[in-house]
Amino acid sequence: MIELVHTPLFGLLLTLASYRLAVWIYGKSHSLPVLHPFLVASVPVIVVLPWAGVSYEEYRQQTSILSFLLGPATVALAWPLYRQLRTVRQVWRPVLITTLVGAALAAGIAIGLAWWLGAPEQVVGSLAPKSITTPIAVEVVKSTGGLVSLAAGAVAITGIVGALVAGPVFRLLRVRDDRVRGFALGLVAHAIGTARAFEFGEKAGAFAGLALGLTGLVTALALPWLWPWIAGWLF
Amino acid sequence: MLDGLLILLLFQFLGEVVIHFTGLPLPAPVVGMVLLLLALMFNLPGGERISQAAAVLIRHITLLIFPLGVGIVLQWSRYQDYALALTVAVVLGTVIALVLVTLLLKWLMPAPREHHHD
Repeated sequence: MIELVHTPLFGLLLTLASYRLAVWIYGKSHSLPVLHPFLVASVPVIVVLPWAGVSYEEYRQQTSILSFLLGPATVALAWPLYRQLRTVRQVWRPVLITTLVGAALAAGIAIGLAWWLGAPEQVVGSLAPKSITTPIAVEVVKSTGGLVSLAAGAVAITGIVGALVAGPVFRLLRVRDDRVRGFALGLVAHAIGTARAFEFGEKAGAFAGLALGLTGLVTALALPWLWPWIAGWLF
Repeated sequence: MLDGLLILLLFQFLGEVVIHFTGLPLPAPVVGMVLLLLALMFNLPGGERISQAAAVLIRHITLLIFPLGVGIVLQWSRYQDYALALTVAVVLGTVIALVLVTLLLKWLMPAPREHHHD
């Protein structure tokens, strides 16, 4: 009986059941960012795995099919990007400038703060792609010598923080333009920010989706080349 | 759904092929995404068949990333020495980035043409 926990079925069942429950709770809470499925689903998994005597490495192997699907999920981002590229033709110039500057800011601030507080190269490298969508971030982090788990966790928490503070930040800065709200959320807080942006409206959601795709693309294309130079300069 | 998955895996494989032959330091799925985007812009026949598979994968990205992301808690002992740097960089860094990006957009984005009601 006990050897059943050492099969892929166990890890997959635990993950899917926890995620299903978390999605249900998230829906019931009307998408409250602090109840994001990533946070809620981690509770049962964190409790059950040590209790069942399954190590994290073994759990990763059991659920490797989910991680594999991140590849096609990344390729799939081309679809919403393609759809939204057509809707924003009139404002391509601010969109392009903000993507380039914003992607550099989001990564640069994370790198700078972590480095300033004494984090080693591996940890700083894991945080550099924290504002981009998770499937791209876990690929990019391989080129910065970072840790995949740390990057994935940092990305998720970045999204949750971004979605949480978006309301107060936009009120404080007196932003009423849904294009600005959406694009800022998608750029800084990727998919979780995009979900939040849809609460401001369809237009905000579309701009967030565009920002998510463009920021991920720009960061993935630039960071692998720039990282050796940044790391050489900091460490 | 099946066609969509087939196209997505095919483009991911094309990305791998490009990386293999060029040695570019880029993630293969990102190269696949760029290739697919270009193909769609040049009217890839049957391109709309991607929509269903793409929607399912993207909607459940949290599930796909979960086994990797939960490691930040399950392997916390590895990271606890840098807890302050991690927390400040992720929480404060995100707030600062959001404020700066919003200000930049407010400054760059032309006023909307139609009347805004909210």
